[in-house]
Amino acid sequence: MATDSSSRRPTFLADHFDTAEQQADAAKLGMWVFLGQEILFFAGLFVAYGVFRSWHPDVFSAASHALSKPMGTANTVVLLFSSLTAALAVRAAQRGARHQTTALLLVTIACALAFLVVKYFEYQHKFHTGLLPGQWFGVPRTFPGGAVMQRGEAAPALPAGAGAFFSLYFVMTGVHALHIIVGIGVLTWILIRNLRGQFSAEFFTPVDNVALYWHLVDLVWIYLFPLLYLID
Amino acid sequence: MSQLEPRETVAGAEAPSTHGGALRHLGDVRFYVAVFVALLCCTLLTVAVSSVHLGALNLVVAIVIASMKATLVVLFFMHLATGSRFNAMILIVSLMMVGVFFAYTLNDTGRRTEVDVDQSAKVSPATGLPAPGGAD
Repeated sequence: MATDSSSRRPTFLADHFDTAEQQADAAKLGMWVFLGQEILFFAGLFVAYGVFRSWHPDVFSAASHALSKPMGTANTVVLLFSSLTAALAVRAAQRGARHQTTALLLVTIACALAFLVVKYFEYQHKFHTGLLPGQWFGVPRTFPGGAVMQRGEAAPALPAGAGAFFSLYFVMTGVHALHIIVGIGVLTWILIRNLRGQFSAEFFTPVDNVALYWHLVDLVWIYLFPLLYLID
Repeated sequence: MSQLEPRETVAGAEAPSTHGGALRHLGDVRFYVAVFVALLCCTLLTVAVSSVHLGALNLVVAIVIASMKATLVVLFFMHLATGSRFNAMILIVSLMMVGVFFAYTLNDTGRRTEVDVDQSAKVSPATGLPAPGGAD
């Protein structure tokens, strides 16, 4: 059924769209609806944080000092830089510069992995010093790759209720880290598609949408960092 | 099908509308780097301010700086400044709903009372005075 007009249709353009712009706008709208859902999903955790902090402001302040500010700051810089490289990867894809897109996606993935490595050492320290959620608070646990410290060693004396802070700390940073892991997955998928030459200056919507997701992961961390690490 | 030629535009300027703004807008690399540097400055600022004791203002300052950073990311990295207004509306409505979520929940949890066993009376933890509400 190759009519004159359909033979000139680009291969990336689905049948139910009239133009490439319409297809790109629809895909992007869908992505923004998903991002809106992500914001509301994280809002549940932020509201829980708000409730417990308003009930126990002193406990949150004391427990916050047990977190490593330098590690948190380093991870913030790493994530912000990965957002820059993700934005530049989209720009490269827009220009049809395939090799540049590949390089920038690789840097973004490397930053995501670096973030997880720092997070691993942070969690390890929390486990070894017993800075754990709820009923486990105060009892040092084993964690892969290091010696268990004695109770009280290296960990500051904290009020008993600090377990609530570490419950929120582990759930919020844990769910965020899960988003980082998913991000590494989708960035890798986009990297492979780019290497196969599936994107061009006319069609780069998947690169755009994955970058949008990655920026959202960055946005969540922008709020998590001061709320968890920088209390007074 | 119209021709889809990549078109250089200055970041922040109006994107060409004939081919769909979101698809065609191409930012300047130096502009993206400038946004990143601004984000770094905000991060250093928020870390520096956190060691200054401002009392309750510490939380306000932290949230304001974080929101400045979030605005930079949303407008320029996520292209809402030059992209579809409808997409911006989805984000704004989501944030308004987060506001409703916070307001109603904190209005409840902030007014709950505790039972004072010695006096067998409900008292507000904030004031220590008899307070209404709660289960009997």
